[in-house]
Amino acid sequence: MLRFFLKRLGWMILTVWIVYTVSFFLMRAVPGGPFASEKKIDDAIKRNIEARYKMDRPLYEQYFSHLWSTVQFDFGPSFRLEDYTVNEVIAQGFPVSASLGIFAMVFALTLGMTAGVVSAVRRNSPYDVSFMMLATIGIAVPNFVLASVAVVIFVFMWPLFPAAGWGQLNQIILPALCLGAPFAGYIARLTRTGMLEVLTSDYIRTAYAKGLSTRQVVMRHAMRGGMLPVVSYLGPATAGILTGSLVLERIFALPGMGSHFIEAALTRDYTLCMGMVLIYTVLLFVMNTLVDLSYSIIDPRVDLEDQA
Amino acid sequence: MPHGFRKVFPYIALLVLVAAMVWAVSFGTLPRADFAFNNGDEIKTVDPAKATGSPEGRVINGLFEGLLRQTPLDQESDENGQVPLQPETNGVAERYTVSDDGLVYTFHIREAAVWSNGDKVTADDFAWSWRRMLHPETGSQYAYQLHYVSGAMQYNLGTLQVGDQVEVELDDRRDPQQLFPRGTVLKGLLVSRDEDNENFTIDIKPLRDGKVDWQAAGSEQSFTKLTAKQPGSGTKCHHVLADFGSTVGITVEDAATLVVRLENRTPYFPDLVAFYPLYPVNRRCVEEHGTPNWTKPGNIVGNGPFVLQFRRIRDRVRMVKNPKYWNADIVQLDVVDAMAVKSQTTSLNMYMNGQLDWTTTVPNPIIPELRKRDDFITAPMLTTYFYRINVELPGLDKVLVRRALNMAVDKQEIVEKVTKAGQLPARSYVPPGLPGFESALCGEFNPEKARKLLVEAGHAGGRGLPKIEILYNTSESHRDIAQVIQQHWKKHLGIDVVLRNLEWATYLDTIHKTDYAVARAGWIGDYADANTFLDMFITDGTNNQTNWSNKKYDGLIEAAKSETDVAARLSLLHQAERILMDEQPIIPIYFYRSINMVHPRIEGFSANIQDVHPLHLLRIRPAER
Amino acid sequence: MTDQSTRPHDPRDLEHYATLLENAHREKGISLWKDAWRRLRRNKASMVSLVFLVLLSLSALLTPLLPLQSPVEQHLGDGTFQPPGMTAAHLPLLELRQEYDETIAELDARLDAAETAQQRSELEDELESIVLNSPFERYWNKPGPITRLMIRFRISLFGNWSVPSICGTDNLGRDVFSRLFWGARVSLVVGIVATLVSLLIGVSYGATAGYLGGRVDRIMMRIVDIFYSVPFIFVVIFLITILDEPSIKASLEQFGIDRITIFYFLIGAIYWLTMARVVRGQIISLKNEQFIEAARTIGASRARIIFRHLIPNVMGIVIVYLTLTIPAVMRFEAFLSFLGIGVAPPDVSWGLLVNEGLQDITPIKIYWWSVTFSGLALAMTLFALSFLGDGLRDALDPRMKNR
Repeated sequence: MLRFFLKRLGWMILTVWIVYTVSFFLMRAVPGGPFASEKKIDDAIKRNIEARYKMDRPLYEQYFSHLWSTVQFDFGPSFRLEDYTVNEVIAQGFPVSASLGIFAMVFALTLGMTAGVVSAVRRNSPYDVSFMMLATIGIAVPNFVLASVAVVIFVFMWPLFPAAGWGQLNQIILPALCLGAPFAGYIARLTRTGMLEVLTSDYIRTAYAKGLSTRQVVMRHAMRGGMLPVVSYLGPATAGILTGSLVLERIFALPGMGSHFIEAALTRDYTLCMGMVLIYTVLLFVMNTLVDLSYSIIDPRVDLEDQA
Repeated sequence: MPHGFRKVFPYIALLVLVAAMVWAVSFGTLPRADFAFNNGDEIKTVDPAKATGSPEGRVINGLFEGLLRQTPLDQESDENGQVPLQPETNGVAERYTVSDDGLVYTFHIREAAVWSNGDKVTADDFAWSWRRMLHPETGSQYAYQLHYVSGAMQYNLGTLQVGDQVEVELDDRRDPQQLFPRGTVLKGLLVSRDEDNENFTIDIKPLRDGKVDWQAAGSEQSFTKLTAKQPGSGTKCHHVLADFGSTVGITVEDAATLVVRLENRTPYFPDLVAFYPLYPVNRRCVEEHGTPNWTKPGNIVGNGPFVLQFRRIRDRVRMVKNPKYWNADIVQLDVVDAMAVKSQTTSLNMYMNGQLDWTTTVPNPIIPELRKRDDFITAPMLTTYFYRINVELPGLDKVLVRRALNMAVDKQEIVEKVTKAGQLPARSYVPPGLPGFESALCGEFNPEKARKLLVEAGHAGGRGLPKIEILYNTSESHRDIAQVIQQHWKKHLGIDVVLRNLEWATYLDTIHKTDYAVARAGWIGDYADANTFLDMFITDGTNNQTNWSNKKYDGLIEAAKSETDVAARLSLLHQAERILMDEQPIIPIYFYRSINMVHPRIEGFSANIQDVHPLHLLRIRPAER
Repeated sequence: MTDQSTRPHDPRDLEHYATLLENAHREKGISLWKDAWRRLRRNKASMVSLVFLVLLSLSALLTPLLPLQSPVEQHLGDGTFQPPGMTAAHLPLLELRQEYDETIAELDARLDAAETAQQRSELEDELESIVLNSPFERYWNKPGPITRLMIRFRISLFGNWSVPSICGTDNLGRDVFSRLFWGARVSLVVGIVATLVSLLIGVSYGATAGYLGGRVDRIMMRIVDIFYSVPFIFVVIFLITILDEPSIKASLEQFGIDRITIFYFLIGAIYWLTMARVVRGQIISLKNEQFIEAARTIGASRARIIFRHLIPNVMGIVIVYLTLTIPAVMRFEAFLSFLGIGVAPPDVSWGLLVNEGLQDITPIKIYWWSVTFSGLALAMTLFALSFLGDGLRDALDPRMKNR
């Protein structure tokens, strides 16, 4: 177990370091930093800005000092937002994105697994067919199209939800639903496939033979096996939720990390961009590790070492 | 792995999930504010010395207060639906007097004015804040508003003559990057300086009883600025500037009396004092925390009707009532949110949903519908919507090209079919309605002539011109106008133009660095005189931002400042505008009408020519609280 | 070895061989592709999707020929936000074209008659500016030479008539229906080219890694693993912003690389990873087959083995992944355009249309058509691609041969 964690940690450090190095040199290679090079601004101001962004020191020194502070999770001041450091922006945006992501994931899991189990148990019934069709729609349609249509229908035509903003509970519901919908679809399909496989296996037949009701069989025995593909899907699902939140936060004007990242991209705020890319990488790594760990816990046949 | 653990794991996972949900819910809720309005975009800063926009102004007017306050008079609106706006003694000063020659203003600060940390507001606060604003290292874009004070311009621009009384700041600051608290300041007479203004020889005068004795014999020392390109031999110093105390006409007579001496009679000086760049900041706070950290919610000290509770980027600025405010009795709102919603449609929707009580923007296409409503308040505004042109770029540096660009824009079509709120197309920069002033006009819409001008300039069909990019701050309205103008220039001149939008703060910075080709802009008159529109375009004016320079123009503006005859003065300004319109570093597009939608339950909201709506004067109707 | 050629042919042998040959002719061997096609044909959903996609591609290709309104011309005032309607639209195309042709002809004549070099260059300048200023430029966004030809042909065919605004108009009065078609061109082209880029990179990378094996293979796959764990989408957005820097953009444009070309490579760079992995897996299992051994025995070079023997045999699985990658790429391009970092106006893309359409929805008047039609177009295309992909995957599955 320890070896697993250490190996994972090692890979994460290597990956993050590569991303950092590539981004750092790209950033420094690009002109147009935070201050105007030829503009007639007071020399003292120019000197202060250079000192603030540590641009007055030689390149290799900048690289290592920035690397050192990055390791300590201090990403430095933002290029464009004068009053803020990158950390402050991330600290403000993270809880918003996290709540959105958690709601979306919970929704996706609940709806997806329920639909999948019902579809598997009542195979080829109208439930099955309609659920699977909805799942396909959820998967194929891009999430911003889904969200746009949802906004038109549920915010403007039948005003059930507020259009945007953050601060009240009812403002989280629609974005979370739209974000989680494609994943609900995937999870429904995966659960259905997994359950079908499990339901035809011997030990389930034994359970039925013993006289257990459908509900007992499903809940107590089949679920565990059927859950496996879902658990391993959680890794890519997190990645998907992180990317999906970029558009959804835009549509619903949520001040989360995704919003800030896109604005950083549009305003060419390189330090903020880079800091967020690193955070996202670390997040993904952590999530994938947790997923692999859970997978090995749930399925005794899987050896943790293989996952590393 | 112990078998028990494996069995229990799904339940642990479930528990974790539920805990995550609870945590998520707790982050998602915020207590509601009494009053929420849309400020248009994320503000750049709350530091009065560093802000230039009206979104910042609304917040700063809530957190700070100047000697005077621009107050909409409490009377019936006129036929335009407007009430007059006056710089009243509703601010920190309880009264002020003006000398007969109009050069000396004496402000008397009220007893009850205190900062939010309990300190009294003193005349020294203003002297210190204005000095901070004038100091070149602060980089205040509005510093020129104080140039009317005698000696202030010299201090601000760092102009020195041999023989001047100067101050030298040594390199022993507590934090080298923070202007305050300053390092040791020595004073003396300037003996010589090199042409780059980097090395100085100064006859340093000694101190006597804590004050500088200018008469005593001093010692000559040489100084070199830290930012000098060539290493010099003198003692390292940060700045050598004109001595503030003896040069600038700001005097602290006693703790409650501030005396200001102007260069020339300036009838609109009270308007400037009531305008937010001249608001004070708390010295202790700034020196302790430094810029920009002093503006953070935990640190900030203000003297306004509200205090800053928190700032969430791209979400809102929340202000709460300041119990220590001298006029706290009339402030009815407890919690005010300034939301940063960029999208006009979202803003309107939030207003309709009751999430906002006041919105400052609405989507243009449905304005004709909205006009029929009672809560739609519109009035003429002393503001011009225009496009700046960076006259240093090749191609755009030719006057004929700029004139061609101006004449290819169909402004009538824009105000009739895009903005739709009754705005007026603009052929001058100064809006109409200023008494006695006659505007100079630029070319009118004439595509044929525009094409000819382009051919004359050698860029027939747009060939040879660089790729022009129109920069605007994110808003559907600006986008639509930019797209229409893009099409106009394509259709009439054959020029290909691309569009770029940035959020407000970055857009301001980009324009300040003149890192653009053509940029959208809007300018609200800071006082009811043509000068507020024209003095920004002098050479190297901090709000010029077009790289345009014309010595004759500078001369006219300068002459107008000291001209006492009203008619002559307005004539000088007219000539200046004539030059501006001829050389066309800007393309005026239309004159604004203020557009606000305010919930009927809000009282105390009235239209005025600057579209200023002090938050502390707004009340919620008792029945609907 | 004994030379068999001197032995006289035994008549019984000849007959025996003749019968064998005849039998062989009768039993028609079936190739992989024919077999797959047969299976695909039976899959109704896939066939419908295929037809839809073929039609879509054809219309995208032939868009300049179609009698559509202008995708860029604005009709401000009353022309904005028109709901879907059947009022015929007339563009004065015949007249404009005639006027344009006459002006060009006249200028050409004067050019021929020009005597001094200065006159000639002046006329050439004027000619060039007329060309740049032509109605073709105004009504369509910078059409290339082939597109212009097609537009001319369309004018000859249809005259001034255009399809009415059956999908309404947007906030500046532009026809949504024609914007859908022109947007399809961009979206499809980006989808296909970026996928091809990812194909190229992925297949060569995976094939090389798989064939070379050993340490090289392990290192190459480790690199792929590292890339996998990076959220590439964020890195790509970061890269796009860097490449958007005016000075870099200017120098790139000097080489003729515009924004869309950058997209091809950046987007393609995200999706080659899976392709590489899959191809490598396939190559490894093929590597030890007999026919590869045989090729090596007769002295075929490494390159020849890789490109002539191995790669054609992985084509099946590559095509399946191709059809899975195209929708992912299209979706990503729409995603970028929706966010505002993709295709820039006046170019049109479906993602951009959805974005613009969404911004137009107000609480008082719901202008639903822009968002709905572009969203529908995007959704249907992605649907069709995924159905087709599923169908192809089933069809090309070797386990289902001859079923």
